[in-house]
Amino acid sequence: MAITDLTQGAAQEAPTSAAGNDTARASVSDDSVTGKERDKARRKAAGKWLSQQATRERRLLAMAALCGALAGLATVAQLVLLAWLVTQVIEQPAALARLWWPFGGLVALLAVRALLSAAQELCAQKASQRLRQRVRRDVMDHLQALGPVRAAQFHGADVAQRWVEQVEALEGYFARFYVQLRLVLISPLVILAIVVSQDWLAAILLALTAPLIPLFMALVGMGAESLNREQFVAVARLSRHFVDRVRGITTLRLFGLGEQATQEVTLVADDYRRRSLRTLRLAFLSSAVLEFFSSVSIAVVAIYIGFGLLGDIPFGPAQSLTLFSGLLILLLAPEFFQPLRTLSQHYHDRASALAAADSLLELFDTSVAPARQASTMASASVSLPGDVMLQLEAVTLTHPGRGRVLGPLDLTLKAHEVLVISGPSGAGKSSFLQLMAGFVAPDEGQCLRRDTTGLAWMDQRPLLMQGSLADNLRITAPDASDDAIVQALTSAGLGEVLAALPQGIASPLGEGGRGLSGGQAQRLALARVFLSDAPLVLLDEPTASLDADTEQRLIAGFQVLAEEGRTLVIATHHPALRAMATRQLCLTRDGVVGTTGETQDSGEGAS
Amino acid sequence: MIGPARTLGPGSTPSTREALAALAPWWRVHERYRRRLLLGVVLMAMTALSALGLLAVSGWFITASALTGAALAAGAVAVLDVYTPGSAIRLFAVSRTVSRYLERLYNHDTILRLLASLRGSAFASLVSMDPARLAARRSSDWLNRLTADIDTLDALYLRLAAPPVMALLLIVALLGITLVWLPGATPWLALLLLTGWAWLTLGQARWGLVASRRRVTTLEALRSSLMEALRGHAELEAYAALGHVREQLEAVEARLLADQWRLAVISAVGNALAVLVIGLAWLLLLAMGMLALRDGQLSGPMLVMLPLAAMALGEGLAGLPTAFSQAGATLGAAERLNDIEHAAGVVHGDARLSAGPISVSLEQVSYRYPGALFEAFSNVSLTVEAGAQVAICGASGAGKSTLAALLTGQTSLASRGLQIRCNEQQGGGTEEQGGRVLLNGREVHHYAPLAIAEGVGCLTQQVDLFDASLADNLRLGAADADDAALWRVLAAVDLADWVASLPQGLATRVGEGGRQVSGGQARRISLARLALTNPGLVLLDEPFSGLDATTAQRVAQGLADWLAGRTVIYLLHEHDLAAPRPGTEAVTRVCWLDR
Repeated sequence: MAITDLTQGAAQEAPTSAAGNDTARASVSDDSVTGKERDKARRKAAGKWLSQQATRERRLLAMAALCGALAGLATVAQLVLLAWLVTQVIEQPAALARLWWPFGGLVALLAVRALLSAAQELCAQKASQRLRQRVRRDVMDHLQALGPVRAAQFHGADVAQRWVEQVEALEGYFARFYVQLRLVLISPLVILAIVVSQDWLAAILLALTAPLIPLFMALVGMGAESLNREQFVAVARLSRHFVDRVRGITTLRLFGLGEQATQEVTLVADDYRRRSLRTLRLAFLSSAVLEFFSSVSIAVVAIYIGFGLLGDIPFGPAQSLTLFSGLLILLLAPEFFQPLRTLSQHYHDRASALAAADSLLELFDTSVAPARQASTMASASVSLPGDVMLQLEAVTLTHPGRGRVLGPLDLTLKAHEVLVISGPSGAGKSSFLQLMAGFVAPDEGQCLRRDTTGLAWMDQRPLLMQGSLADNLRITAPDASDDAIVQALTSAGLGEVLAALPQGIASPLGEGGRGLSGGQAQRLALARVFLSDAPLVLLDEPTASLDADTEQRLIAGFQVLAEEGRTLVIATHHPALRAMATRQLCLTRDGVVGTTGETQDSGEGAS
Repeated sequence: MIGPARTLGPGSTPSTREALAALAPWWRVHERYRRRLLLGVVLMAMTALSALGLLAVSGWFITASALTGAALAAGAVAVLDVYTPGSAIRLFAVSRTVSRYLERLYNHDTILRLLASLRGSAFASLVSMDPARLAARRSSDWLNRLTADIDTLDALYLRLAAPPVMALLLIVALLGITLVWLPGATPWLALLLLTGWAWLTLGQARWGLVASRRRVTTLEALRSSLMEALRGHAELEAYAALGHVREQLEAVEARLLADQWRLAVISAVGNALAVLVIGLAWLLLLAMGMLALRDGQLSGPMLVMLPLAAMALGEGLAGLPTAFSQAGATLGAAERLNDIEHAAGVVHGDARLSAGPISVSLEQVSYRYPGALFEAFSNVSLTVEAGAQVAICGASGAGKSTLAALLTGQTSLASRGLQIRCNEQQGGGTEEQGGRVLLNGREVHHYAPLAIAEGVGCLTQQVDLFDASLADNLRLGAADADDAALWRVLAAVDLADWVASLPQGLATRVGEGGRQVSGGQARRISLARLALTNPGLVLLDEPFSGLDATTAQRVAQGLADWLAGRTVIYLLHEHDLAAPRPGTEAVTRVCWLDR
């Protein structure tokens, strides 16, 4: 019933109509054979991944299973003792005084059972928690290895949803299903052995259902699976509709259609109800079958034993039945089915874990190759001459689906340079900067940066975190003093803004930087650059879509940075910024250098 | 719905009254289905009672048979009616299965019905919500609330209301049986079971309330922190701050894990207690039964039957502790959804707008987003005569879209809830939002919502197309427009040729959020949709962004006739009267928001 994966669909933005069509078709083509096979392969991979994960907490999970098995045995022992005690009392009521000891045994076994099942629960929970923590850490490592460019192929909301909700969805699989699966045969086999020792015919009556057990499992499994798959389609439909309407809510209001849309939402949800009931009917049937067999075999065993005890069954082992053996078999019969019933209750944990594993695998499957750090940093300090900050040698960059976006390019960047990169949109200016920053590794060639060189980065959408202004600046220098922060904000032209805030640098920014205008946010990013003492400053279209006032303040700030002796690389079209350049480089549409120019004043070298 | 809500911190313990108050509106929705819900509980109880009956009667039957058999073997004359218990056993076996199946199906049907109507009413609240508050959260957050939180509410009946009632019925049935055959044990049993029941439900709920309620909040914090970090991935990596951010994330995760562990312990203790309560119940019956048997007050078969009946309590009590330990999650979901309810409601009057061009005036208007450090704009005054075409300019973030929201009555300066929230977040700062927004000389909130919807047309910056056909999307503007009218407006926005070239023409689906069409096409489709309406005031927020100069000019020409005779306000990044950008040549006056 959960519709939590809504955001996933909402989040991903399809690039163009053609690509959008393709993905839509791919997800709809359920009936095609390849689609089914692919589904199967993916489910298999997800299952394999889940059991791999489980091995990482093998000991705790084994401990949980052990506690569970012992609790099961304690239950059996308790029932044996109960049957014996009752028989004794009924046959010799006068001997009651002798029977307080076994009664004490029953109490003790009860306490043991309660403790063991609590221990099982806690061990499994601990294992599940640790596993989820590890998976989260793995995802983080992977994102970090992918880097800002490759990781951006996933929408942030989508990644966050997987990292939080999908990892949480693994909980029940490890905490309940995995352990229960290991328990499902233990106590039934013990019970069967005891029953055989008492009355083999009763054992056969119980065991008759045993071959049906795999059948139950398959039924329950199929039920859950088909439930899950069809449910998934229905949920996806409902959520698409819902996402669509929520996203367009402003438009609906503007056209005065709010009420009509509300009715529609209710109608679609009702349609969803009708569809899912159809699947539920089947899915519930499978567990009803399990229930039916357990009830009926208890009834049959009870009636068989009853008539056997009455002497109405003149053949087989029934004649040697006693009150003790009859009671014992009756008491054990429900326990025979209990583990399976519990497993079927937890089956949906498995289904949701498989779905979660699948979506996490999709994240892990994005290749981190070519590895970034190795080529960026390796031995750079050794091979770079003294005043060279950065050197690119015949680098090329390819984006999946878009082919080569940049290169081959060579560049040697020396200290104190102001390099301006221009070129038409789509020429790869941003990619060029990302290469220099080491956010992405070149497919060919080498990108060497002095490894002692700190880096400052600023683009059009600065990071604004929930927290104070000071918190937002301290990401560049965690130990910066308050004075240094005020100084940096003033240098970035935020002095007046700061003066207007009663709480000063402790003023809180809302989520996503609510509270700052676009221009102010950009100046905050500049203040970060000032606060960091990074000698290499990379600026990606820093003045795009800003008002003239902010633009001027930023340019003044960049000038100060250049005067401080920092090396600046700026991707821009802005004439005033181009005027600052000591060197210009113009990329063509094919991502190669069109013109270059060493300039000190504006105009020259512009294409 | 239930008066002003005090927003509780996630870590504080709400009082029982507060908790019930938060759940009350949602419980009221349940009451519409009272009969279905009651029947659901009855079916649940039938399942449990059948299990009880099956075990109890079987035990009785076996013991009675053994005793009779022994007596017969000893040569005594003994008679046992085997048919009544035999058929009772069969009946219980079947009724347990059937009622369980029916119960699951029936209750799921009920809950899905409930969720559908909950979703509808939550969506209705969202529709009437102030856009400033709507914009304060990402739409994915709202979606989460409308989906995950509403889904969590299904626990209210399925896990929190029905099972304890069913367990109570089971307990009463057992007490009834003991009252008949072992009256001496009844008070003790009642004490044990009722105390146990109260602890396993209310006690567990109370114990786990803070942790389970906070857990959901922490999950949300975790999600938004990661999204923030991913947005700033480049900067964080450049400044080598990723490690620091990861530490912060791990600290949040540690809080989550601590709460989860606390809940695990709470529900493990609860489950162990359930085992103990059930165990002690049958041990009590066994012990007192043995004494009664010795004293000749109880027969052997009855001695077996009573403890076996008590064992069946597991059917009712076993699931309670886990469900109730998590009760805080349901409460939290209800509280968050109440938040939507409370946020809803920009006040509207019932005045109508006269036909023809509308005059607009702003008097000293200031506006500040909730939680913002600065007002979006302050003291804006401006008059636009009926029929004029003006441009209002300002950089991104200067508040153009807010202005549009004010003029269309989506946001109101008079919405008090908004100001209170501002003050809360700003530590009691002064109100910096006010002024008057007038259409034809009357404040916007005096008009009926439908009058505004008809009289003021608005092309928003973010274009919304719906996952339906082109024709359906256009007809949002005018439900009864014929195909000819659709083709006419498509021609006006220079799309007629393109649509005609599509194999499915007007029936072409535009995809979710209009994904199957390009950004420029989407913008033109929404312009065409607007051109089907007949407003006196037209607001165009960056109407030609994403269109190349030639197309922009052609679209502007196509719409010129429609725009003539209406008041038109262009909301633009910048505008130069001497050198207007293509499409905005008709503008006669420019006002700057941020100068």
